[in-house]
Amino acid sequence: MSLRNSTSGPIKTVSFHQNWSAYAFLAPALVILFLSLLLPAVATLLMSFTDVSFLKPTSFVGFDNYIKLFNDTRFQQAVGNTIHYTIGVTFPTMVLGLLAAVALNQKVPGRMAFRTIFYLPVLTSLIAAAVVWAYVYEPYAGPLNGVLTRVGLPPQPWLQDPSLAMNALIIMAIWRDFGTAMIIYLAGLQDIPNDLYEAARLDGAKGRDIFLRITVPMLSSVTFYLLIILIVQTFQVFGAIYVMTQGGPLGSTETVVYQMYQTAFGYTEFGYSAAMSTVLFLTILAFSIIGTRIMRRKDV
Amino acid sequence: MTDLAQPAAMERQIAARGRKREFPRFDVMNVIGYLLLLFAALATVMPFLWMVSTSFKGDQEIFRFPPSFIPDGLRWQNYLDAMASPDAGRQLVNSLIYALGSTVSNLIFCSLAGYALARMQFSGRNLIFALVVGLLMVPAQSQIVPVFLIVQKIPFAGGNDWLGNGGTGLLNTYWGMILPTAATPFGIFMMRQFFTRIPMEYEESAKLDGASPFTIFRRILLPLARPSLAVLGVLSFQSAWNDFVWPLILNSHREMATLQIGLQLLQSGPDARWNVVMAMATLITLPVIIVYLLAQRHVIDGAVTSGVKG
Repeated sequence: MSLRNSTSGPIKTVSFHQNWSAYAFLAPALVILFLSLLLPAVATLLMSFTDVSFLKPTSFVGFDNYIKLFNDTRFQQAVGNTIHYTIGVTFPTMVLGLLAAVALNQKVPGRMAFRTIFYLPVLTSLIAAAVVWAYVYEPYAGPLNGVLTRVGLPPQPWLQDPSLAMNALIIMAIWRDFGTAMIIYLAGLQDIPNDLYEAARLDGAKGRDIFLRITVPMLSSVTFYLLIILIVQTFQVFGAIYVMTQGGPLGSTETVVYQMYQTAFGYTEFGYSAAMSTVLFLTILAFSIIGTRIMRRKDV
Repeated sequence: MTDLAQPAAMERQIAARGRKREFPRFDVMNVIGYLLLLFAALATVMPFLWMVSTSFKGDQEIFRFPPSFIPDGLRWQNYLDAMASPDAGRQLVNSLIYALGSTVSNLIFCSLAGYALARMQFSGRNLIFALVVGLLMVPAQSQIVPVFLIVQKIPFAGGNDWLGNGGTGLLNTYWGMILPTAATPFGIFMMRQFFTRIPMEYEESAKLDGASPFTIFRRILLPLARPSLAVLGVLSFQSAWNDFVWPLILNSHREMATLQIGLQLLQSGPDARWNVVMAMATLITLPVIIVYLLAQRHVIDGAVTSGVKG
């Protein structure tokens, strides 16, 4: 449905009374959105030009926070880590989600059970999932190293080794997210008209050709939408890192939101944290706007 | 976990569908594909199975390496220990108040606003709708610091003066937890989309009888909106029940911790025992899975239209 549809009705003059009652309906929600989203977005921007903290009086510092930010090697590492995480999670999640959706869009035995199982991790609270995976990765008593030992492979310090920790977090995130990708792809698959497949089969097309020439192209806008959602979401990763690694070892899993949290509540540098937040916000906003454009063009 | 999935009901559904269309032809590729599917399903449930298995293990057993998948016995004591751990009862109450408070307020405020945007004529309607759509794109995680500062500065709350200074505002209160989540752009958008689809005739006779907008909303449109309200309710409950970041930042007092915070404290504590931690994780995970299995179809539809997850 187009976002603009409802506004195309006849425009009548609106009485004072109609305005009054409409705004009475809207008021509670608008106050909450103002306090929880609009004001914070503006406040972040303003704060990023100050050195606000609980420790000393606030003063205006211009672009100092941003200059500091772009020369801060720790922030650069966090940006690098966040991009590593985002790419590492996004693509495997989409591929696995697509494969699962294509498989379960057919009449295979137990398809509802499979769907339910693949969707279970999505429902699990992030913290429960993180705690369970912290146990799975536990080096001395954890099941993963247990299995490796049984099949004769060396155990690994999954979350303690700087070269492994980020990938360990990525595997957990794929486990948790691919159910979402599957569900969205399933919805997309159901929108593909059956005639296309029947015509292709009449022309003698084989399964792989049908998949690559019909299914994948017909899903392109769903794919793009999913890509945006996953990028926006993985850019903001925080909870799993807080529980499993606290940004360590050696800063190898410190992401932008984790560093933002540390800067604000660990070092009470709210101004500097706001500058990080603004950079993150603008990046995510850019991706969201692209995503919305795509959604509108498709007129979902 | 799979026995929770009501296999009997599912098999009936599948059988009903299977009659309409045949299963794919038997060939080698299909068999390999099906084995991969089974492997993926096993890999997906494995962490859950380990969670449950470890939750029944003894205190010595959890340090055995390599760990055995089948516990020596069912040690229910771990569940009692998890529930008896300091503050667990209080955390459950806190989680319920937060999740229910957030759910109820979302249902009320989002349906009111959605109704106004869909069916009432007023000046500024397009502007407000554009604002709501725009706010859909604001990433919540990047706003936690200013939201914290705003909640702290609510005037007259927690010893604050009229300028919001001097006290602690709504920090460490239920109001503080619920307020920023009490209405969401997504909820308003979803309800607005639903109300737009209902034909105007439904309320025209009531209007002629002189019913007030609120009466029309309450008596005619809200009852029609039950399926949408169910989706909004489940998604709101799930997102507040599973929320970690906001309660973590807002509440410094231990007695305001929710179950999610409690689980994290239990796991990171000095005397953490994996069996008790896993018992707690099982207890937290089960309610959401049960609610999901009961409302499966609605929730999946909602998740598809929103692309939002918990």
